[in-house]
Amino acid sequence: MQTEQSDILKLTNVNKSFPGVKALCNMCMTVKKGEVHALVGENGAGKSTLMKILSGAYIKDSGTIEFCGHEVEITSPKQAERLGISIIYQELNLMKKLSVAENVFLGRYPRKNGFIDWKQMNKDAKELFDTFDIKMDVTAMVRSLSLAQQQLVEIIKAVSINSQVVIMDEPTSSLTASETETLFRIIQTLKDRHIAVIFITHRLDEIFRICDRLTVLRDGCFVGTKAVHEVTKSELISMMIGRELTQQFPPRKVTLGEVSLEVCNLSDGYRVKDVSFSARRGEVLGFAGLVGAGRTETMRLIFGADPKTSGVVRINGTEVNIRNPRQAVRQKIGFVTENRKEEGLFLSLPIKVNIAMVAYKKILTRSFFNFKKERQVAEQYVNDLHIVTPSVDQIAMLLSGGNQQKVVLAKWLLPDSEIVIFDEPTRGIDVGAKLEIYTIINNLAAAGKTIIVVSSEMEEVLGISDRIIVMREGRVVGELAKDQFSQQAVTELAIGGV
Amino acid sequence: MKAGKENNWGHKIAGIGNSLGAWLIVILMALILSVTTKAFLTPNNIINVVRQISVNAMVALGASFVVLGGEIDLSTGMASTFAGCNAALMMTKLGMPMIPAIIICLVVGVLVGCFTGFIVTILKIPAFIGSLGVQYMVQGATLLLTNSMPISGLSEEFLVLGRGYIANVIPVPTVIMAVFIIIGAIVLKYTPFGRSVISVGENATAARLSGIDVTRTKIAIFAICGFCAAAAGIVQASRLSSGQPASGGDLSLQALAAVYVGGTFKGSMLNTLAGALALGLVNNGLNLMGINPYWQKMALGIIIVLAVLFDQYRIKKSTARK
Repeated sequence: MQTEQSDILKLTNVNKSFPGVKALCNMCMTVKKGEVHALVGENGAGKSTLMKILSGAYIKDSGTIEFCGHEVEITSPKQAERLGISIIYQELNLMKKLSVAENVFLGRYPRKNGFIDWKQMNKDAKELFDTFDIKMDVTAMVRSLSLAQQQLVEIIKAVSINSQVVIMDEPTSSLTASETETLFRIIQTLKDRHIAVIFITHRLDEIFRICDRLTVLRDGCFVGTKAVHEVTKSELISMMIGRELTQQFPPRKVTLGEVSLEVCNLSDGYRVKDVSFSARRGEVLGFAGLVGAGRTETMRLIFGADPKTSGVVRINGTEVNIRNPRQAVRQKIGFVTENRKEEGLFLSLPIKVNIAMVAYKKILTRSFFNFKKERQVAEQYVNDLHIVTPSVDQIAMLLSGGNQQKVVLAKWLLPDSEIVIFDEPTRGIDVGAKLEIYTIINNLAAAGKTIIVVSSEMEEVLGISDRIIVMREGRVVGELAKDQFSQQAVTELAIGGV
Repeated sequence: MKAGKENNWGHKIAGIGNSLGAWLIVILMALILSVTTKAFLTPNNIINVVRQISVNAMVALGASFVVLGGEIDLSTGMASTFAGCNAALMMTKLGMPMIPAIIICLVVGVLVGCFTGFIVTILKIPAFIGSLGVQYMVQGATLLLTNSMPISGLSEEFLVLGRGYIANVIPVPTVIMAVFIIIGAIVLKYTPFGRSVISVGENATAARLSGIDVTRTKIAIFAICGFCAAAAGIVQASRLSSGQPASGGDLSLQALAAVYVGGTFKGSMLNTLAGALALGLVNNGLNLMGINPYWQKMALGIIIVLAVLFDQYRIKKSTARK
C-alpha cells in the first residue's frame, strides 16, 4: 500500500535535445502523492520541455520515468492521459463553442443506443462540480465563461479522467485575486484527494503560499529540490538565476519635470468611469488594481484604441482629441501592450521590421525604405537593449518572451515616444530579463519621459513606481506617494472595504 | 539557441526552397520540358508562354496585395471582363477615343475594388463571401450592358495591347505585365504602404496599435486589385479582338492559384510571377506533349496542391527552432 508520502512520479537522468541545443540535461525530480510541487526557473530553463515530456507532447531521448513505482514510456498525450497525467496549459485547450459538460467529457461522451446521452452527461458533470463545491452551469457554452471558470473546467476535466498528477502551467497569470483564491482552494481539495499538482509559476509568493516542495531548473539542468519552508525568497531567486540579486529593482534618482499628461473624467460608458489623473516628465506612475479593474481599458482609451464617451486628455497642457492609435503615435505616445504576441508583435516578420513598424519614416530615404539604415537602427537596439538573437533578420516568433518584449519596447523607443505606457511589462518573463526591463524603464524616466506602468504584480508596482494610482471597478480609488507605499495600502484600496 | 551543425536533407531542401521559392518549380518544369519535348525550348514557344501568362499574372499581382493583406478577392475575374467589355463598348458604340476609354475603365476597376473593400472593412462581411457577392453584381452588370453579346470591331491601335509585338519579338502584353510586376514589387518591398499591407496581413490588431490605418490599407489593396484586374481585362479584350462577356469566369481562381503556388507570403511579388509562370508551363507542357486537354485541369489541380504543400513544408522547416 502506498502512503501519502510515497512517490508517484520519479524522473531519473532525463535528457532531451533539439538540433543544436540541449533542452534538458540529466533531469531528476520526484513528485510525491498529494503534494503541490512547484517547478521554477527562468524562461528557457527547460520547464516547458519537461512538462511536454510528461504530457507526451515530446519524447525523451534518454533517462527513466517511473510512475507509481513502474517504469513507463510516455509516447503520446493520449497515453499520458491514460496513465493519469493531465496538463493544463496557459492557453486553455477547451472547445469554446461546446458546453461545459461536453468539454469535460470530450471524446468519451456517455452514450445510449449509440447516441450521446445528454441527460446523463449533464448530470455527471454537475455532480463532478458539486463534489468540488464549485458553482457551474454545465450547459453553458465555454465561450461565455470567464477565464478563471474555464480553468476550473479544465481542472475538473483532469480530475474526471482520474488524473493522479495535474500539471498547471502558470495558472494564475490571468486570474484576479479572488479567482486565484478559488484556484488555491481547489488545489487544496486535489491535495486532500492525494492528487499531486505540479505548479509552474513566475509569482514566487504563490509558491510560498501553496506549495510543499519546489524544484529549480536552470539552463536545462536540475539545480535542486527543496521543501518550501526551508528556503527564503532571495535564496530561491539565486537558485534560479545562479547569482545573488542584491536588489530586484535598480535604484534611480527621480527628477520630476512638468506635467505632461493630464486625463480628466475619462469614461467609456462601460468599464472606465470618470478617471482623472496626471503624470509628469521623469515620473514612473504605477497603476495597481485587480485584473478587470479597468486599468488596461483606461490606457486603451488614452491611446485611442477604443472610443471614449466622455473626458478630456491634455498633453503638455494642450487638449488633444485622440480617436485612433495613429493619432496617439503622432502625439508621441507609445503603448507596450499586455499581450505581446497578439497585440504587439508581427511574429513571422523579422526583428528589424518589427522595430521599424511605428517609426518607419526614420528609415526612409526619399519615401523608399533604406534597408541599410533599417539594419543599423535595429542592430543599435539589439545592442542597447541586450536582445539575444543571432541576427536582426530572425523572425520574432523564435525569440524568448523577454527578448520579444524588448523588441516591442524598441518599436516604441524608435519613434522617440515621450509618454510610454507599459501594460504588464514583465508578464511571463524571467527574473533576469525583468531586471533589464526595469532598468530600461528607469533610464527612460531619467531621460525625462513620462512612464505609466500597469502591473498586477504587487512587488513590481511597488518597486518600479514613483507614485501609484489604484483602480477598482473602473474608478480611481486612491493615490499613493512613495512614502505611503505598502502592500497593505495597495491591497486595501484595490479590494476595497477592508 | 545555437543553430545545429548537422545539415539534413530537410534543411537543405528548405534552404534551397527558401531562396528560390516557386522559381524552383519553374526551373524544374522547364528542365523536364526541355528534355522531354523538342518544341519547348524554341523562341516561339517561350514567347508564347510569356504572352499567355500575361493576363493571369496581372490579375494575380493585384490578388497578391489582397492575399498579403490577409484577405481574398473572388471578384477579379468578372471585374476584368467588365473592364474589357466596357472598353470595347465605349470605343465601338460610343465612338470614344482609346485613351479616355481605357482610363475610365481603369477608374471603374478601382471603384469596384473600393466597393469590395468597403463591404469587407466597413460592413465587416468576410472577404470570401463579400467579394463573391461583388463578382455576381459585376457579372450581372456586364451581361446587362452587353446583352451577353461579344463586342467586336475594335480598332487596330487597340489590338496592339494584346496582340502586338515590340521589335517583332517581345509581346506587348508581356511588356505591360512586366511593368506592372516591377512597380508592384517595388511598392511592396520599398514603400511604407507595402509594409503596412504585410503587417496588416500578419497581425491586424498589432498593426492598428502600431498606428497603421488598417481600414484604409485594406480598402487600398482591394482598389489595387480592381485596378490590376481592369488593366488585365483590357489587355484580354485586345487579345481576343473583342469584349467577351462570357469570358473570365475562371480568372479569379487562376490568379489566386498563381499567388498560392508562388508562395507570395514570403513578401515578394516576383513569387507571384513565378506562380503564374509555373501554371503557364503546366498548360504549355501538356499541350506540347499532346495530352488530352481535360487532363490539363487535373494536372493544374495537382500542381496547385503540391506547390502549397511544398511551401508549408518549407515554412515549417525554416521556422522550426534550431
